[in-house]
Order: sequence, then C-alpha cells, then structure tokens
Amino acid sequence: MITLNVNGTNYQVNAGSDMPLLWVIRDILGLTGTKYGCGIEQCGACTVLVDGHPQKSCDMDATEAVGRKITTIEGLSATGTHPVQLAWIANQVPQCGYCQSGMILCVAAALARNPKAKATDITGELENICACGTYQRIRNAVKSITG
Amino acid sequence: MDNALLDARLTRRGFLRAGALVVGYATLGGVPHAIGTAEAAGSSALVNAWVRIGSDNSVAVLIGSAEMGQGVCTSLAQIVADELQADWTRVTFEFAPAAPAYANFVTHAQLTGGSMSVRGYYAGLRVAGAAAREMLKSAAALAWGVPASACTATNGTVTAIVGGVTKSMTYGALAPAAATLPVPASPPLTPDSALRFIGHSLPRLDLAAKTTGAAVFGIDVRVPGMAYAAIKHCPQLGGTLAVLPKKPSGATAIVGLDNAVAVVVEDTTWHAIQLARNLKPTWTIPSSVADLTTATIMTEAKSLMASATPAIAESVGNPAAAIAAAKLQLDATYDVPYLAHATLEPLNCTASVTRTSCEIWAPTQAAGIVAQTAATLTGLPLSAITVHTTFLGGGLGRKFEQDFIAQAIRVSQALMRPVKLTWSREEDFGNDQYRPMALARVQAGLDATGAVVGWRNRIVSPSILFQRGWVGPNDVDSQAVDGAIDLPYGFATRAVEYVRHTAEIPVGFWRSVGFSINTFVVESAIDELATLAGIDPLAFRQRLLANDARSLGVLNAAAALGGWNTPVPKGHARGIAFCEGFGSTVAQVIEIAGKAGSISVVRVSCAIDCGTVINPDTVAAQMEGGIVQGLGAALWGKMTFTNGVASPRNFNGYAMVRMRNMPQVAVTVLASGGFVGGVGEPGVPPVAPALANAYARLTGIRLRSLPMFTAPRSGD
Ligand code: FES
Ligand code: FES
Repeated sequence: MITLNVNGTNYQVNAGSDMPLLWVIRDILGLTGTKYGCGIEQCGACTVLVDGHPQKSCDMDATEAVGRKITTIEGLSATGTHPVQLAWIANQVPQCGYCQSGMILCVAAALARNPKAKATDITGELENICACGTYQRIRNAVKSITG
Repeated sequence: MDNALLDARLTRRGFLRAGALVVGYATLGGVPHAIGTAEAAGSSALVNAWVRIGSDNSVAVLIGSAEMGQGVCTSLAQIVADELQADWTRVTFEFAPAAPAYANFVTHAQLTGGSMSVRGYYAGLRVAGAAAREMLKSAAALAWGVPASACTATNGTVTAIVGGVTKSMTYGALAPAAATLPVPASPPLTPDSALRFIGHSLPRLDLAAKTTGAAVFGIDVRVPGMAYAAIKHCPQLGGTLAVLPKKPSGATAIVGLDNAVAVVVEDTTWHAIQLARNLKPTWTIPSSVADLTTATIMTEAKSLMASATPAIAESVGNPAAAIAAAKLQLDATYDVPYLAHATLEPLNCTASVTRTSCEIWAPTQAAGIVAQTAATLTGLPLSAITVHTTFLGGGLGRKFEQDFIAQAIRVSQALMRPVKLTWSREEDFGNDQYRPMALARVQAGLDATGAVVGWRNRIVSPSILFQRGWVGPNDVDSQAVDGAIDLPYGFATRAVEYVRHTAEIPVGFWRSVGFSINTFVVESAIDELATLAGIDPLAFRQRLLANDARSLGVLNAAAALGGWNTPVPKGHARGIAFCEGFGSTVAQVIEIAGKAGSISVVRVSCAIDCGTVINPDTVAAQMEGGIVQGLGAALWGKMTFTNGVASPRNFNGYAMVRMRNMPQVAVTVLASGGFVGGVGEPGVPPVAPALANAYARLTGIRLRSLPMFTAPRSGD
C-alpha cells in the first residue's frame, strides 16, 4: 500500500512496485481525464502535474510519486474555469479532445511557474502530440492569456 | 473511489457531463425503446427520434454520427435546433444508440465516414426539427383550444393570443403532450432568411467536457464488474495462433482469437498489457509472408505497372495518340507508402455479453455495423444488442473497422462478464488497416498553346474493397481511383486505369482515402506540366478551370490568401494545389523556407467552398486539422514491412507534426450556398502536392515519392 496525494485527496492504493502513475490514476483511482497515448514518453497525453511540474505519468513509477502533490486535469479547477480552460474554450481549441488534458496542464504549469512568460516561451516548450492538429488554436489560446 | 459517479457517466446523456442528472425526459416521436414500432410505421415516424426535451426546458439533440473531433455534435444540433426554434443556451446533445432510425439519410447506414455527416443528415434533420416544433405548437393549441396556426414557437416557448390574453408555455411543459401526437410528414421549413443558428460559428457543445477531463472516450469506459484485457497479435501479418499459451500467473483468463491472444486481468489495463507483451504463443506463419516486405511489394508494383492488364476507370478519346502527337510530353511516375492511422486514442472496446443480451461501449465510427457484428458473434437478435458510442479520440477511418470490436465481444463472451479490451500503442501501429501504398504513372501531352491534349494515369495499388470482398478481382476499386477520375480539368482525351496490387497487407480507409494518393499524383503532374509549358502554375490551372466558376473562385481565393502574386521572400517558395472531392472544392498555397533536404513550412493558405455552411469555425478547424495530417504524411509518414512485421510501432519512429513544425494556417470558407459539401476529409489531399510543388520551385528538385523526408527519430 502506498499513499498518493491526488488533487488534494490522499488515496491508499495497492499498486505493484513498477506500475506507472498513469495507470494508478486511470484504472485504480478512476480519474480518466489523464490519457494513455503511447506509454513511452512520446505523446504527452498522460501529462499530470507533480509538485506543479508537468510529468508524463506513463513513465513515472507510482511509488516515486509518494509524498508529492499530483494534479490531474480533474483537479486543475473545481469548476473548469481555470484561465487556461477558459482560453481553450474561447479559442475553440479541442477537436477530438484526447490530447487536451495534457496540453492544458503543460500550459497551466508554465504560467504558474512564470506568470510573465511570453506565449512563444510557453508554446516553444510544448512537445505534446495533437493528432487532430489543434496547434494553431493552442498558440492563439496561449497568446490570449499572455497578451 | 466514488463508483456511483463514474457509473453515472455511462448513461447515454451522461457522456456529456460527469454525474449529469437525467430528469423527466419526454421523447418526441418515441425513442429509443419504441424504435421497433417506429420502424414499422415508416420513415416519417422516425424523424422525431432526434429531439429530447426535458422538463427543465433543456433540448437534447440525438447525434447519429460519431464525434471524433470534427464537431458534428454541434453542427448537427444546430440544424435541428434552428428549425425547432430552440433556445440555444439550453441545447445539448446525446449520442444516438445504434438503430436504423439513426442511419445517415443519404448513405442509409449509421457510420461516419466519407465526410458525409452534414451532407447526409442536413435535409432530414431540418425536417426533424421542424416536425418537433409543429408538434409542440399542436400540443399548445390543444391545451388552449385554439388552432395550431394561431400559435407561434420562438426560442423555446409557444405563445398564442387566446381570448385577448397572451398565453405561453415552455417546450419543457409541452413536451410530454407533444410526444403523444402524430409526427407531421412535411412540416413547413424555416425560410433561410429566418435561420438563426445555421451558418453561424456557435461555440462547440463538447468543449467544457473536453477541457475538464469529463468527456468519456471509449478507453475511459468503466462498467461494474469489468475486467481488463489487452491483446497480443501475431507479430507477422497473416499469421494465426497455433497453440494458446498457458495462462500467465496473475491473469484471470487467456483467450485465443484467430490471429491474436487476449489476456484478461482484474485490476488494470497496464497489468494486462504487461502480461500480453510477455506472452510467447506459437503462431502459424504462412509461407507467403515473405511477400509482405516493402521492397518486394514495390518491385511487384513496378512489374504490374509495366505489364498488367488494367481495369478502365475513365476513358475519353484516344489519349495515347494525342500525347504521341503533342508538342511537349510528360512521363512521370509517383509513389506513396503505406500509412498508419495513429489516432491518439488507441483502439479499444468494452463489451458485456450475457446469455440474453450484449451491450457495447465503443469509440466507433460505425455503430450500426457494430450491432451487426455483435449479432453475428453472439447469435442474439439485434433487439438484444445495445451499442453506446462514446467520444472518439480520433477516428480517421480506423475506427470504422470491426476487428477490435469483435475481439472485445468474443472475450466477454468467453468469460460471460464485462471486459474492456485495450490495444497497446505498439499493437495499434502493428495491426492497422493501413492506407495502401500506390505507384502511379502519368503521361500527358501539351500543344503549342500549353493546353493539355492527352492525359493517361495508371494507378497500381492494393484494393481496400477487394480485400473486403466488396468488388471482384478485376474490378476498378472506386476508392483507389477517387481523386484521379472525374477531374474538373476535363482533359480533351484521357484514360485512367487501375491495376490491383495483390499484396496482402490489410488496407483500409484513411482520411480522404484515394484522394490522399491521387491528388498528390494529379496535382504534382499538373505542376510539372505548367513548368514544361513555361506557364505559372496558378495561371495554368486557371486556364484549365476557365469554365468552372466555383473551382476558379476557390483557386483564386487561396492564391489571394497565400499572396501568390506578391514577391516571395528570399529562400522561400510557394506551391499550389487544388482538389475537388467530398462535395467540396479546396485549394491551398503552401509557403516553405530552407534548402534542399531541410525545409520548414511557413504558411498554409487554404480556401474551401463547401456550399452551405453550418458552422464556419468548425469548417476552418477541419481544414487546419486536415492540413496538419497532410503535412505529417507528406513530410515523414511511412510504414514499412519485413516478412509481414510492421514498423515502426510507436511515435518514436513515426514522426507527427508537433508545435515546433506548425506553420501559420489561414483558412477562407467560401459559402456559395445550395449544395452541402463535406469538410472532414478534403483538407488533407492538396497538402502533399502543394508542398512538393513548393519544394520543386525552391530547390529545382521534383519529389515524386512520398514521404519527402526521412522522419526525425525522437529519443525513446
Ligand atoms: S502516454 Fe505518456 S507520453 Fe504518451
Ligand atoms: S484534439 Fe484530438 S489529439 Fe488533440
């Protein structure tokens, strides 16, 4: 048994020692907003925040997350009104939506780290895959926040 | 964990919002439980299967198409809501169950493909919305003892002046009574001038769910008592299972499936994937597997090109003679590789089979076919089968197929309990139904004025339709020649020929299908002809399309947007391409920068005429997405095969366009009205040729083989 703090709640979970955080979040905690896309740190669909930093959860053992604060898309805002979420809707970013939890969390973390960050700094670091090709709208949404 | 909350999301309406409360819904016209009777009553009784009004005045529009990013859950809802005179702020959507009532009005099948959603549903959904509106008016008229003609429906409320007093009732209050009334067969439609939603960029209805993690994709489905399954296919395509391995320790069950083995566990998908990955089944590999090798397939394609007897797809006059007599001749051979779909959500399906029922939750483009698959596998009648279509994390044609659906049903059947089967990314890449490779030779002739006097195009490519038994071995595969025949260019003499390649790599429908191949060939060859004639590529096309105002309009709009006639910055070049398909016309100007072997895509300027536009912003989004997909394929996309083993198996070997590769994209949506054109696919085809044409202008090098470059390999 390990204890994980996810979105401010402590969960006792029985995860095998090498089970990636992604699958604990999805299948044991049932927080399915965090997605599986590749399992090898390539796509970023599985991104969560660990102590505020974007982390590809497919490549982090759940045991490594003990004692750290994990935030998933469900925990970014109780009402879905985080500025990044609002900007995403205002700019009509998502298509299929599958990549967007990861995209939103990456941008939210960058803004939290440096509220004065330039849009190009934020998007320059964004490596996640969007197979639907929403990159231009992501760029516009980020610009709408950074000004 | 709060299972009640999770499970609440599995109600049909609940796909929209976690924990949504379903209250007091009355259904106009009777769905879904009354579908059987509605069917018997004929098509007019079916129309109001589309509208569900809540006592809270919410209006849910049932969506017969799959939502895989293209925005149909909004655009189809707009059509119904407009005729219904609904209050848009109260409009939501539900995915329709699999049932004949929800079949596309044009294709008569409940499947999403061919950019047919708005095209197929538009006219029928307007009638459906209008019929529901008239029923609400009739219900009010009955309540007030006035004729229906005295009632007005506006923004979710019916009003009438009764005995000098203005009376009004909301749709929510009227819905239960309205639902009992007969469905009018030909209700009056709203005049175009009075439409409030159609033609407007209303915000998508699915984005709150898609920014909060609440949207339920197939892979997110959880049902009580569910087990988790993962799959290992025979690594060599065409191989079958010889000996089922022993159940690994920790597994609940192991199920043999023709060419694969499924491992079932109790706890997590990850656990199942680990066990499946480590299985060592014995496979039977057919001796022909050596033919499933990329180089062998290309050698065979060349030999078929040289000597096979083709099927004739289009023939006008004697192009061979015209080309022989022409002043200038082009003879160019192009090739494109197999491609993977690589939807970001891997294939998955949840099934629950009992002795008397079968329930399926799937990210499927073909709910209607899923029901049939289930009926065939279980022997149950269609009435015992329920299909829930979830959100799709991309479809692109792959989620039309039934392989992953059938596997989940069979595993659930073997265990007689609910099972969610998920493919790992590696299985997804390795067992796709790939976009076919193709080899195409264009021969064409120009007269002294630069007019095309003859055009021959011979296409060698595996047949998607033959592999499914839908056409004979010597037939033209219509999908394989889409984008090569019926060209708006109307060459004076022409012959388009098709030779079926017999390679047994499974092939399938990939966004824009034949157009993804043939538009590259045709529009590259047109550019080569323009160069040969010494005419500007835009002017060359303008001459060919001189009598086609619609095509010309699109071409000129793209050229203007892309600054075709403005000076090109040093080190940059522009290419143009055009495509008519899926009922729409699209042209793109692509500007690139760099040098031979190393370019960046700076700007893509795209014009589309899709006739009647429901939601201009979602049309623009589809162009943006199609362009990104087209760029990835043209620049790097390629699957290779060695003795039936597909490569690559994950995104580290299959380069996708990422933010750093993303050009500026500008889209002009021309709405010429009248017809309704498709938008999901036609954004893809012009990308590869516009890019190759730009590259030829930049470097003097004509790339006739895709992909244009070797994929950058990202570190694993
Ligand atoms: S699933 Fe973790 S990066 Fe793709
Ligand atoms: S919105 Fe579909 S993958 Fe990004």
